[in-house]
Amino acid sequence: MRFIALALAVFSVPLVAGCGLRPGYPPNPMLRPTAVTDFATLYNQNCAACHGQNGQNGPSIDLANPEYQALVDDATLRKWISGGMPGTEMPAFAQSAGGMLTSAQVDALIAGMRRNWQRPNAFDGVSPPPYAQAAVGDPVRGQSTYQARCAQCHEPTRDSANQQITSPRYLALVGDQALRTIIIAGRPDIGQPDWRHDSPGGQAAAPLSVVDVDNIVAYLASLRNLGQPAPASTASSHTTPAGR
Amino acid sequence: MRVNGTMSRVYKWFESRLQLEAPVKEAALHPVPRNTASWWYVFGSAAFTLLFLQIVTGILLALVYVPSAGEAWSSLNVLNHQIPLGWFLRGLHGWGSNFMVAIVLIHMAQVFLFGAYKFPRELTWTLGVFLLLMTLGMAFTGQVLRFDQDAYWGLGIGASIMSRVPFVGGGLVHLLLGGPVIAGATLSRFFALHVFIIPGALLLFALLHVWMVLKLGINEWPMPGRLVRRATYIDEYNKLAHEDGIPFVPGAFWKDLAFSGAVVAAVGVCTFVFGPFGPGGQPDPSIIQTVPKPDFFFLWIYTVLSYLPPQMETPFLLIAPLVAIATLLAVPFWAGEGEKSWHRRPVAVLAVSTIAICWGVLTHLGATTPWSPHMNAWSSDPIPVHYLQHATPLVRQGAVVFQVKQCRNCHSIGGNGGERGPALDDVATRMTIDQLRYKVVTGGGNMPAYGKNLSPAEIEALVSFLETLHPANEPPAYDASRRAVDESQSQPRPQSARPPAPPVARQTANRSANR
Amino acid sequence: MSHEEKPMEADPNQSVKAHNESGADSLNMQRVVSRRWMLFKAAAAFNGLVGLALAIPIVRYLLAPWRKDASYKSWVSLGPAESFPTGETRLAVFKNPSKRSWDGATDNVACYVRRTGTDQFSVFAINCAHLGCPVRWFPQSQLFMCPCHGGVYYADGSRASGPPERGLFTYDWQVVSGELHIDAGQMPTLSNTAKLVKISHGEGETSCG
Repeated sequence: MRFIALALAVFSVPLVAGCGLRPGYPPNPMLRPTAVTDFATLYNQNCAACHGQNGQNGPSIDLANPEYQALVDDATLRKWISGGMPGTEMPAFAQSAGGMLTSAQVDALIAGMRRNWQRPNAFDGVSPPPYAQAAVGDPVRGQSTYQARCAQCHEPTRDSANQQITSPRYLALVGDQALRTIIIAGRPDIGQPDWRHDSPGGQAAAPLSVVDVDNIVAYLASLRNLGQPAPASTASSHTTPAGR
Repeated sequence: MRVNGTMSRVYKWFESRLQLEAPVKEAALHPVPRNTASWWYVFGSAAFTLLFLQIVTGILLALVYVPSAGEAWSSLNVLNHQIPLGWFLRGLHGWGSNFMVAIVLIHMAQVFLFGAYKFPRELTWTLGVFLLLMTLGMAFTGQVLRFDQDAYWGLGIGASIMSRVPFVGGGLVHLLLGGPVIAGATLSRFFALHVFIIPGALLLFALLHVWMVLKLGINEWPMPGRLVRRATYIDEYNKLAHEDGIPFVPGAFWKDLAFSGAVVAAVGVCTFVFGPFGPGGQPDPSIIQTVPKPDFFFLWIYTVLSYLPPQMETPFLLIAPLVAIATLLAVPFWAGEGEKSWHRRPVAVLAVSTIAICWGVLTHLGATTPWSPHMNAWSSDPIPVHYLQHATPLVRQGAVVFQVKQCRNCHSIGGNGGERGPALDDVATRMTIDQLRYKVVTGGGNMPAYGKNLSPAEIEALVSFLETLHPANEPPAYDASRRAVDESQSQPRPQSARPPAPPVARQTANRSANR
Repeated sequence: MSHEEKPMEADPNQSVKAHNESGADSLNMQRVVSRRWMLFKAAAAFNGLVGLALAIPIVRYLLAPWRKDASYKSWVSLGPAESFPTGETRLAVFKNPSKRSWDGATDNVACYVRRTGTDQFSVFAINCAHLGCPVRWFPQSQLFMCPCHGGVYYADGSRASGPPERGLFTYDWQVVSGELHIDAGQMPTLSNTAKLVKISHGEGETSCG
């Protein structure tokens, strides 16, 4: 009898408590995957693997960098997210390009990045070199600028020559635009300074000029073409289908 | 007194017409051996109680549920969110189902270990086997009525299994689905199965099962050395029940009652705490971002299907269930006499424990599905920060390649990612850079070949990233002859050599701190 | 035998006696009023006949879905062929040709269209050849992966790894006035194609329903 009483007591607890506390109350009906527009969910499902949790410390560019957010406009972001970024590993995410995201979801991602990571006056009033390259750079001048401003940190050692940014292997996977973006906006999460501090020791010397940036990119691009797998940079975007 | 008099007159009025008193009294007061009043003998009645809980909650749910492929999912969400306590009713039915399967299995194991299936209770056991099958059938059809993505693709799995039957497989698929594809007709026939056909048979069989328990008596507590013989058993049993017996009610029945109450209470508590099951995503087959999984009690089959070699699959799927059922049915006829006690039946004990352990392991594996690629890992699981803290630019790009080419879907890093292939946190200690490159390009051992899907630059970046994956105290594997050649030429070593020491040391020190 | 049937009687002998008596009675009855029994048998036989007559339409009704594969299939349009870029594999959704109004979203069927040339297509079923789960296409690694048991297929639908015995099921296709049509209408399973399956490393070239 005591057992029954105990069982009844156990059973009545939820009935009594059930008025306010309902731990078992089911979650809302599951949305269609295309109806999800919550930024955190979308970012964590689609972007976090390469761009890192919270937009930093990933292998790819840190989207949480306010300078990056200030540098790139919405249309460009939409273009890269939707169709992928040529010359890099950034894949296409829009349904129109064979991905899984609707255009509303792409917009939600952009709006979410702006909301979370954009800071007013990210450049302290200084105007940076434009995001898109306007003029053709000079690789020879670029080399000397590189030696003066970049080489101290990016000096290939004996062990890491193949792994440095001057190696064609690296450059084959990173397009000109991506190089340019990193030179200008830097990557604060891994200690890469922005264009104002691109100098030995990362000290605030004279910022790189627009022409300097053009030239350095042109120099690196010329190194890319020296490498043996010359056309390899685009191989991933239109891979020949695998057969057996 | 007055009231009592009226009451007894009413009672008599009914009793003279119904005449139930005598049979009920006979059933309630029939003597049972004293030692059957045990907590081991409560599972059958609990299963019976749960059957009635399922019938009641099922009928209540049917007041709202719409058995139409177009509406079922929304009606479940209406139950969950718009009908007051509809979610609780769904939870009771779902948890009741899980408890019922569990209790039926426990009941069966107990009956088997206590030798209760032996003469003269063979038919009781046979009916019990069918009751088990019908309970599982209810669990599966019930999962289909919870018409979500899991139900939809679960039906697809069922149809695919059915299609393996030789000669008539295609027709059987049509019969199962009610047409060429999973659609409205499919749900309608599973509704009929779940609501009319199986429950009707289940109830009938359960009543017969209980009837036979009452008529044949509850199995006495097995004693080592007390053998069952056809010629003498019934006399022995009657003697035991009468000489050392107690009336079934209340002597033995109070424990049944208490346990049944406890089980129903447990169903209620589970519902209150954990809530109802699903429904998951809506059953639209154009939504392919789904990872179908069966309900708990079918997870083990899911596991078996992933581990069987392909050529074994069809024979196993078609023959093993028949063999299993035939074995269960044959048990009382093959071993209908003799020893009942588990103390003297080592094979029986071994069989039950082997099955239980296998079932547990397979279910656990089914819950974690280490064989399935994690479809979103490549785009959702970040690389642990300290793995890249001092990485060179190429290694960083290699990490990008690792993610973008979906390596992560099958290989975990830092505990996240698929488990189909081995975790790669220390892959560099197992393979030299040449072996890594070869493996990536040619695949093999259940890994697809990536040679045509990766550019040379991507392969180089990828292997240089993989080369950094080793613990601090363990250098990466290297090719001894290649190193000897490199050192004798005293040239800059190729990338097969170790990456710069200090960063690696720091990187891995962090990693081990995190472990 | 009566022991077995009524073991719980307080006095087994008594029950045996009663049983025998009633048995004898019924035997007598049968002998004495054989006309009643004859009528009973006739009525039972009549019922059997009626039952048999009804069973035939009932069984026919139950077996209604059991039809030839071809009767379920018809040509369905996947839209303009131009919407499938050359060199890519795209998800396409079409309506099941035998859909009914109460099917809801289950009348959708998904498939993958791979365009290899101006007029060269492969159309793969979404269903894994192992147990019918929906495979997902990953353009980056050019692989189809199945979420259920880890079947993986190459871009041409051939088996790459995992439990499937063969490549992905394919649909027959044709381009009619600029639109891509496929011969579809049935969930592809091994039995629709069993005679064409090559167990070792299927090439995924057999057609399916």
